Amino acid sequence: MRRVTIPETQPNAQPALPLSGYRVVDLAGPMGVYCGKLMADMGADVIKVEPPGGDPMREIGPFIDGRPGPGRSLYWLHFNTNKRSVTLDMRTPAGAAALRKLALASDVVLETGPPGYMDSLGLGYESLAAESTGLVYASITPFGQTGPYRDYKASDLVGFAMGGYMYVTGWPDTPPTRLWGSQAYHTASNRAYIAILLAIYHRMATGEGQYIDVSMQEAVAATTEHVNTTYNYTGESAVRCGFRHGGQFVATWKCKDGYASITTNTRKAWDDLRAWMDRDGMSGDLMDKQYNDHFVLRGEHSAHIEELIQAWALRHTRQEITDFGQSNHHPWGPATTADEILQNEQLWGREYLKTVEAADGSPSMVYPGDPYRLTEFSQPMRRIAPAPGEHNAEVLGGVLGLAPAELERLSA
Amino acid sequence: MSGDATQTGLALKGIRVLDFTWIHAGPSATRILSDQGAEVIKVESNNALSVVGGPASATARGLGQRHNWNAGKLSISLNMKTPQGIDIAKRLVAVSDVVAENFSGRVMPSWGLDYDSIRPINPGIIMLSMSGLGRTGPWKDRVSYGQTLQAWSGFTELTGFPDTDPSGPASAYSDAVGGMAGAQAVLLALIHRSRTGRGQWLDVSQFESLSSLLETLVLDMSVNGSAAVATRTGNRLPHGGGAPHGAYRCRGKDRWVAITVFTDEEWRAFVEVMGSPQWAEDQRFTTADARRQNADALDSFVESWTVQHNAEEVMGLLQGAGVAAGVVQTGEDLSRDPQLKERDFFRRVPDQQGQVRIIESAPYKLSRTPGSVTRGAPAFAADMTYVLRELLGMSDDEVDECAIAGAFD
Repeated sequence: MRRVTIPETQPNAQPALPLSGYRVVDLAGPMGVYCGKLMADMGADVIKVEPPGGDPMREIGPFIDGRPGPGRSLYWLHFNTNKRSVTLDMRTPAGAAALRKLALASDVVLETGPPGYMDSLGLGYESLAAESTGLVYASITPFGQTGPYRDYKASDLVGFAMGGYMYVTGWPDTPPTRLWGSQAYHTASNRAYIAILLAIYHRMATGEGQYIDVSMQEAVAATTEHVNTTYNYTGESAVRCGFRHGGQFVATWKCKDGYASITTNTRKAWDDLRAWMDRDGMSGDLMDKQYNDHFVLRGEHSAHIEELIQAWALRHTRQEITDFGQSNHHPWGPATTADEILQNEQLWGREYLKTVEAADGSPSMVYPGDPYRLTEFSQPMRRIAPAPGEHNAEVLGGVLGLAPAELERLSA
Repeated sequence: MSGDATQTGLALKGIRVLDFTWIHAGPSATRILSDQGAEVIKVESNNALSVVGGPASATARGLGQRHNWNAGKLSISLNMKTPQGIDIAKRLVAVSDVVAENFSGRVMPSWGLDYDSIRPINPGIIMLSMSGLGRTGPWKDRVSYGQTLQAWSGFTELTGFPDTDPSGPASAYSDAVGGMAGAQAVLLALIHRSRTGRGQWLDVSQFESLSSLLETLVLDMSVNGSAAVATRTGNRLPHGGGAPHGAYRCRGKDRWVAITVFTDEEWRAFVEVMGSPQWAEDQRFTTADARRQNADALDSFVESWTVQHNAEEVMGLLQGAGVAAGVVQTGEDLSRDPQLKERDFFRRVPDQQGQVRIIESAPYKLSRTPGSVTRGAPAFAADMTYVLRELLGMSDDEVDECAIAGAFD
């Protein structure tokens, strides 16, 4: 157990959020944009550095009313909540000098350039750490800073494939399949965020900063649950089995109005399921005692059992299956369609979804909340995503003390 | 801050975690802490069901998961149905920094170990409660598994091809995501405690952790209404994106390569690698927009090339030309991957019987606190002596009395 001493300079100070007071320079593209958001949403002063024309991520859809244009990218609005924005061209000497100054006045730098790129601009870790020993500097790349593939390129899809998650996703008769959303990117971001928090904590104790090297491929490979353990402990590669995860005993079935997840993780759940099928006259021979063990769904009769359950499930709605399962304490539930998510009573009930009214009379927007609830804090959205260079004056002028003429030149 | 945190290469040296978690999400959260030197005491029981990662992992895969998610931890056995078991747990709370649990909502209160009850024992305690749906709200008492949450959140319906049944994530993505969120919440709380001395209760809903990865889905519908309802798009991106963008069959059995081409420059390089076939001159493929609109036809042509080659060969050729491409790797591929090997991703560590176990390392490298994984998961109840005698200072008599009362069964 670690003894905690409250810093004497701030007796009982209550920061507004856990990362209040930390400044982050966010140079990340799509591979790390979620990492920056996670820090900004927890109170860090995350400064998104954009090229003078605006970040290319501002051109990623979807868009308000389906029309691209300034301020219309919902991708940008989602991933840059609570951040500030400055514009400068770090490829010019003046831009690089200003960015250097900003990084030295910050606690964390986050970047996703190819290995060696930041060094080539004189903005790599070694160079900055020489002047700021407490700096935490995180680089997210497709394959890491070392190794034979360090210079390989990867998109989200390629990261997902190389990390081993894609091969097992999908059905035996479909190609390997991506998860909905750019989950390889977000997994890299999630892992980088953990590493940054560890580094911040270490710095609080020691004053030392450090360099963090995150590989998207490894981030995905460490997130597959069963791919590596299956191969390393059985010698077999896991294969695609659609939503029949865990050999049918954790499974989703097509039902009357969509799909429902019916997990028979206990003997009781299995007995309740086959008894219900029996009441409907559709249990076939499943009441036979040879099927008593709920792990039978993994065994030699699995195809036969699967056929019976599937034929039966088509007779019931998602609601009926959910209500029956939940009232018997089984983890059964509906496959929600996208249009139903916005109505979800649990997400509203816990104030996870947040309505943000637009000032100019345009429609209000519903934003998702944070992936965790810290009960010491309320976790409001403080600021919508910034316009390009919206904070040039207050950051480049206010924090760095650049003169207005210099500022003008940088952001032009 | 005490001085025990430094010069060790471990960011969490000196932090003690009393870990009641089981199955996947909880243990994977505390494994993240254990890697960085936190002393994680896994509380187990012979009375608990033998489930994945539990004391008696029956299958080889279960054994692998136990080691993977519990490497470096300690194990004690406590029977929480006995007053002595509960008493020992409370004494451990008093000397811990973090208590972690992922039971259903009624379990910890029934033992007098919910946050409000343990705070008087240890005012600075951080309590991590991980649950499927959160400990408040109209669905707080609902039961869920990883796959239930993937269904509820929309991931099941949205993952897969438009013309087949959805497939959903292959494995318990929600558990992995919940584990990461749990670790993040604990680290945020530790940072806050260092600044203020205050602990707190962390109410992590895996449903919310997963919903946070739905990107613009909710925002889009709230702004654009029913026109914006997301549906399955297979391996293509729903908004913009490149073409080709997918998995293409290669030579061999069930061998695939993922290829993504976004810019015209990448397209020209790609065509050249394929030997500039005539079809690539077709007007349907000469601009990025045209390629996207004719993606089905394009995919057939691309696959007619990839299928003549090994997946590794296609990756090498395209990467050499600056095009993002990668083998759709299997478990076996990963175990032989030269990149993962060079970066020491798979660690071979001994378990307590001295047998070598393979586990994944943390997927990040910190230069000053690299962390360390030096052993596999503990054998069941392997650390009773250390925990009871050294940590709690219990006498032989006291331990014997508890044993007779069944506190360790």
